[in-house]
Amino acid sequence: MKPLVFAARSLRREFRHGELATLAAALVLAVAALAAVGTLANRVERAILASASELLGGDLGVSARRSALPDAFTTQAADIGLRSSRIVEFSSVVFAGEASQFSEVRAVDASFPLRGRFAALDAQGREFTAQAPPPGQVFADRAVLVALGRKVGEALQIGGRDLAIAGEIVSAPGGAVFQFAPTVLMNLDDAQASGLLGIGSRASHRVLVAGSEAQVNRYAEWARANLPPAARVSTVEDAQQNLRTSFERGESFLRLAALLAALLSGIAVALAAQRFARRKTEDVALLRCLGASRREIVLALVLELALLAVPACLVGMALGLGMQEAAFAFARDMLPGEAPSMPWGPAASAFAIGLAVLFGFALPPLLRLRDVEPMRVFRQDMEGRTRRFDVLYLLPFVVGAVLILVESGSARLAGVLGGGLIGVALATLLVTLLLLRVLRAGGKTLRGALRFGLANLVRRRALTLVQVGALALSLTALDLLAVIGPSLLDRWRADLPDDTPNYFVLNVQPEQRDDFEKRLTDLHATRVSMLPLAAGKLVAINGQTPRASDYADEQRAGNWIEGEVRVSWSEALPESNRVILGQWHGAENATPQLSVDKSWAEMFALKLGDTMTLRFGDAEITATVASVREIDWDSFRVNFFMMLDPQHAKELPHSLIASFHVPAGTSLSALSREMTNLSLIDIQSILDRVRDIIERVSSAATWVLGFSLAAGLLVLLAALAATADERRFEIALLRTLGANRRQLTTAVLGEFAALGLLAGLVAALGAAGTGIALARTVFRLPDYLPPVGPLAVVAILSAIVVMLAGLAGTRRIARTPPMLVLRRGT
Amino acid sequence: MTIDSRIVLSADKLSKAVDGPDGRLVILEDVGLTVERGASVAIVGASGSGKTTLLGLLAGLDRPSGGSVSLAGQRLDTLDEEARARLRRRLVGFVFQSFHLLPALNAEENVMLPLELEGRDDARERAAAVLADVGLHKRLHHYPHQLSGGEQQRVALARAFVHEPEVLFADEPTGNLDQRTGAAITDLLFALNRERSTTLVLVTHDLTLAARCARTIRLRDGRVVEGDA
Repeated sequence: MKPLVFAARSLRREFRHGELATLAAALVLAVAALAAVGTLANRVERAILASASELLGGDLGVSARRSALPDAFTTQAADIGLRSSRIVEFSSVVFAGEASQFSEVRAVDASFPLRGRFAALDAQGREFTAQAPPPGQVFADRAVLVALGRKVGEALQIGGRDLAIAGEIVSAPGGAVFQFAPTVLMNLDDAQASGLLGIGSRASHRVLVAGSEAQVNRYAEWARANLPPAARVSTVEDAQQNLRTSFERGESFLRLAALLAALLSGIAVALAAQRFARRKTEDVALLRCLGASRREIVLALVLELALLAVPACLVGMALGLGMQEAAFAFARDMLPGEAPSMPWGPAASAFAIGLAVLFGFALPPLLRLRDVEPMRVFRQDMEGRTRRFDVLYLLPFVVGAVLILVESGSARLAGVLGGGLIGVALATLLVTLLLLRVLRAGGKTLRGALRFGLANLVRRRALTLVQVGALALSLTALDLLAVIGPSLLDRWRADLPDDTPNYFVLNVQPEQRDDFEKRLTDLHATRVSMLPLAAGKLVAINGQTPRASDYADEQRAGNWIEGEVRVSWSEALPESNRVILGQWHGAENATPQLSVDKSWAEMFALKLGDTMTLRFGDAEITATVASVREIDWDSFRVNFFMMLDPQHAKELPHSLIASFHVPAGTSLSALSREMTNLSLIDIQSILDRVRDIIERVSSAATWVLGFSLAAGLLVLLAALAATADERRFEIALLRTLGANRRQLTTAVLGEFAALGLLAGLVAALGAAGTGIALARTVFRLPDYLPPVGPLAVVAILSAIVVMLAGLAGTRRIARTPPMLVLRRGT
Repeated sequence: MTIDSRIVLSADKLSKAVDGPDGRLVILEDVGLTVERGASVAIVGASGSGKTTLLGLLAGLDRPSGGSVSLAGQRLDTLDEEARARLRRRLVGFVFQSFHLLPALNAEENVMLPLELEGRDDARERAAAVLADVGLHKRLHHYPHQLSGGEQQRVALARAFVHEPEVLFADEPTGNLDQRTGAAITDLLFALNRERSTTLVLVTHDLTLAARCARTIRLRDGRVVEGDA
């Protein structure tokens, strides 16, 4: 026997029987879904990183507070072949005659910007690509120019030096999304000469570098090893966090969808392989009888699978890449920069996963064929040597687990999904066994055809478990994709309703409050919220001066200990905050109370009852930690790590920070002209981008859902086909005994309704539980509740679909002439 | 045409052909026969002579390509499968070589099946009584895989007789049994047939079994070569 030739011939002969076609279709679907989503995610990720480089102003930054970074940080960059640029940032009051404006000053050298485009407006309001300001010149935000009453071409003063305004900043790489004051960009030499960077200044120093990925990695390694105290390395991954979170959420959705499609395909493969193995048993017995060895049989089977798998995976890959190209073209205009080239890695890994899915799910039933005894040729009812346990049965679970782990791209997603599916499998097992027990005991009271249908479930116990399990798992996947996914997206969308505040205004003075509120009313502003903001310094924790070295995250703790802390107060718990420990302080308190963010509580190892002492100018306040909050940082609202109780904090020197929504196109220039000290931050464009991402993720998820639905349908067909042969004979026999169509229909409906309802019910519960866990741990939507109505509808619909599919399959069988009964086994 | 009330089964110019890869294949050709009520008839012939096809056509399991077949005065060849099923349920019982019990049902439930298909309320009692008649009163709740071959065939006999059919069709009823068990089943089959005055049509290779029937019809290459009437 030549196994390869034999395998090729067998494949050609057996393909028309259906099981192998199911195997091939399942593989095509799995590989296409994984290749499409994997490739798309990779390209979007690279596009975001490239745009993050532009925002950061380089590929990597090293920053230090108070003192400049040693020269080694620039010479090392040059040695490695990287371009580098030094930036110093500090807060200062900028003057023009009598007018003044508190500003964030960014002093840059001639290399600025390393990445991205620095755009400015000239005196005529025309946009141009600007270079770093030469000595004697500055660029300024519009808010500064308005506040100072100056135009491009005129002069302003920083640190006592007159500097010419070279342009109005449109966009400058390297700035933060939320700044507490408008920006002025000046030459580094001017800043150093002005004496503003002397001892005691609160400047922050940065070295930015740009070059190839390998060079940047080398530099990062060196920088981390030589980092001075209180300095930190910031990578492009840290930049553009707000948008990244949205993309990551979106990517998790898509990965989840693709993963479920692949798992469904795995189930379809397992079911089809099982039926294939059963049908092949007689052939193998005959081959064994004719002298084929076990080894030859196994080899031929494996080769047959491989001959099927390779073309199927290639087709899947081509289909997936075609789909992602279309999807990428669709997503292209919301991604900045050059289009990243097509990576081949994700498609190749999808191909490999396709093979792993096939062999992982199909081999266990097929390899059991090596145990078929040649004697079976004479006695067809002879079972193969039954092994109570075969280690091979673990293979699908191992492959499934590895698939979840590798493809989810996140341990959390993997854990929740894996846990959910295992939970569904166990629940199915328990509930099905319970039902079978009830049917066994109570089935006697049923009559005729219905009892026959339900008795089938009891008799084919193992097969019933497999069928219900496969259906329940695939319905769970479909519930997750069709019900939970869209409702999570809706919940995400609800985070950003149409009237989400699109402006932040800083530096409102308490005495301006009434006037400011009146102007907002005139502008038809809605969702107006105003919180006090006081900048202070953390001087003691539980009476002790805090030292960064006492805390695990020394660098972050150090930033807060040495830097400024911004504190607010309010009677009510702010929106998008949730108290997770202790109680919100409210209005009336005997002693000062404090609420801290969860990450702060962890960073400073704080517990309820600890005290923190803060200094605001001459005033000091020691407050007791009364609650710990979890803050939704993606909410686009003003949030504070520390919130004091209003009774004790209201006298602290402070300004107000306001957030509100104004209809698109509303001009706030009058406001900034008349209240010159205000800093306005427009976040409409970021909101629009995040909303755009949500919408496009929804569309893309629908595409991937198509794969999953197709895979789910394959599972259903494979599950029904698993018992088709037996059913065909039984129905022919009932027909012989005179059963009419109605009686046959009752039997089939009874059986399939029970199967479908059971699977639909367990799946709905499993999907709801998994949905809640996914919302909490992966998508950070803690108050998400799955929609009960749609889940119930899907459960009932799935029962109906299973019933109809069963009926449709049986209609064909019912046309089988009863003569089959006489022909079989005689 | 007058209908002889003594004739329960008749065939006239019956033929069956199927289209195969090598053209049309004639399985039965020009078969004519009549069977009187209460008679016992054996159909014998070599493998491939068309015995089982003839049995299937007489029992209304399949439709002929030509000719006519009547059961209890009803033309089977003009009825659709649904109508033939109704007729089988009322008038016909079957015994198969491989027993063909439904493995999902126990002995009693298997026997109840024809009565339940008729919608009778006394199915359980009747089934228990007939199972007692075939000596299986202690095996009512056993499933087919818990019974020996002989016992399974007894259950099949009980199922065949329980609704008191006009005609019992048996296809090699002892083909899967050893000689002793086969003989016992044969005795039982003929005893039940006698007691209930059922018409018996059986297909067999076994000439001893055929000899116990009042009449033998021999087929060769799809044609009746001996015993037609």
